[in-house]
Amino acid sequence: MRIGRRQALLGAAAATLLPIPARAAPDYLLAPRQVADGLWLFEGAQDSITRGNGGAIGNVAMLETPEGAVVVDTGGTARHGAALRAFADQRLGGVAAVLNTHHHPDHWFGNQAFADRPIHALPGTIAAQAAGAQALADGLYRILGAWMQGTAPLPAQVAAGDGVLTLGGRGLSLMAMAGHSQADLALIDQTTGTLIAGDLLFLDRAPSFPDADIATWRGSLGRLAALQVTGTIPGHGPFRRDSSAAAQTLAYLDAFAARMDAAAALGLSPAEALAAGPMPAFAALAANPAEYRRATVQQWRQHEISALPVVGGSV
Amino acid sequence: MPAILCDRLPGGGAGLAAFGGGLTRPETLDSGMWDMHRADLLGAPDTWRSDPGLRLLAPRNAEDARHVPILADATGLGAVERMVVTIDYSPFPLALVFHPGRALPLLGFGVKYEIAGPIRASALAGGGWIMGGAFIDAMGGGCSAPAVTHARPDWQDGFGEMRARLWPDTGRLRVGIRHPMDTGLADGVPAHHLSELTLTDMRGDRIARLEIHEPLEENPVLTFLLPADLAQGPIGIAARDTGGFRFSGEVAA
Repeated sequence: MRIGRRQALLGAAAATLLPIPARAAPDYLLAPRQVADGLWLFEGAQDSITRGNGGAIGNVAMLETPEGAVVVDTGGTARHGAALRAFADQRLGGVAAVLNTHHHPDHWFGNQAFADRPIHALPGTIAAQAAGAQALADGLYRILGAWMQGTAPLPAQVAAGDGVLTLGGRGLSLMAMAGHSQADLALIDQTTGTLIAGDLLFLDRAPSFPDADIATWRGSLGRLAALQVTGTIPGHGPFRRDSSAAAQTLAYLDAFAARMDAAAALGLSPAEALAAGPMPAFAALAANPAEYRRATVQQWRQHEISALPVVGGSV
Repeated sequence: MPAILCDRLPGGGAGLAAFGGGLTRPETLDSGMWDMHRADLLGAPDTWRSDPGLRLLAPRNAEDARHVPILADATGLGAVERMVVTIDYSPFPLALVFHPGRALPLLGFGVKYEIAGPIRASALAGGGWIMGGAFIDAMGGGCSAPAVTHARPDWQDGFGEMRARLWPDTGRLRVGIRHPMDTGLADGVPAHHLSELTLTDMRGDRIARLEIHEPLEENPVLTFLLPADLAQGPIGIAARDTGGFRFSGEVAA
């Protein structure tokens, strides 16, 4: 999301007139693009969550149906969700249903704006949303300030699972997977053959690992790469006709795991592995080196343990 | 040989430079609790300074307030009598006191962070104090949350397990002990943490000693640096905690 020229000008004008007691966040400016027949993509900023982007970093998709839009992920704040809802109401005839791909807040903290519609997610996602909402919200209020105004996270209520789910007459092939988090929902829009992958796929943006199980994630990538689809919407990054997101995500996972293993086997401390920064081939990806540094803290222990044999214990 | 090993990873030398190299960040020089902690914890020295011979690697943000990875490298200062790790706004400002003895003055560890603020490693070298500091932003709560192990049916499973490895070519020694490192601030969980760890040579003579306080992370893993002769091993490791438990192990090259 960008701060619009109008907001910037208004802000500048106001600043010359009177002091601003509290900084109000600018509006979310949506830039939807139709990437396939009746399939709209709201591409997130290729960055970490910052006050510059209002937490609008994850991709949001809307599928047109006669009963209104099927919304896949709802944005990172209540206000972001409200902006998305307004688009659906004004341009797509309202909202038929909502799906949350997984429990990370940049994908569902806009749920409040869709509280009057069924919100579907995998059972593991619903449980993680309920358990983690408060801590995730605390963290985001701290980072985003006024952008988070009014956000009281609303977990999904309808359990989804493997198989075809028809919403508003549009068939969606749901695939219950895991690896990026405990429960990752990917789906294929049967009308256009487009894969909406959630955060199992990243493109031109460093993957994030807060709840990742790399081995499981690799398995899910294998399944996704074997699918016959006409295009792919990753959780973060641009729409592509080819399978570059799956290839790049897998290459990043392998390179990251190899770097952690190498660091642990060489006797590096986690502080050194973190300070060394990302693998050179991926150093220029958006959100790096920040995402690599976070991932090092999140993943280090399991790589370290295999490098350190048991030599003693309690006596 | 440089003591910090980032450059062992591809691109790691450039990465370390981009990270700031572990040089003391100016915002930590005259701020926070430094005046009081200098007086209370370092014996109120008349003078102190920062020096590029002391590097402190610390992340700018605590991704996990229960495990914030730190490396203090004072090998650029020559002989160091002791190194004191303090955390400005921690409920337990004194984290570690390292007496390198015959080891080199390098120490890697993880700490819990209760609130954002500076962490400092202060080295007593040549009769003067040299301080390296870094500000770490943190959501916090790391000292007052119960140890993760208490969520398990029996936290004593695996308690005290010691893991270690010695790298004779670089002199690295890494030692891990499975321990909840309870600070006493979590509801209903009394304080119970490691209090001391010593390294000994093959004759049983002490190499180095580490005084350990509450902020050290749960299941801590420590990184030491030994001179070439001692790095051939074997090295004896002995530790004790505030509950009277003792832990020991031996690691060969």
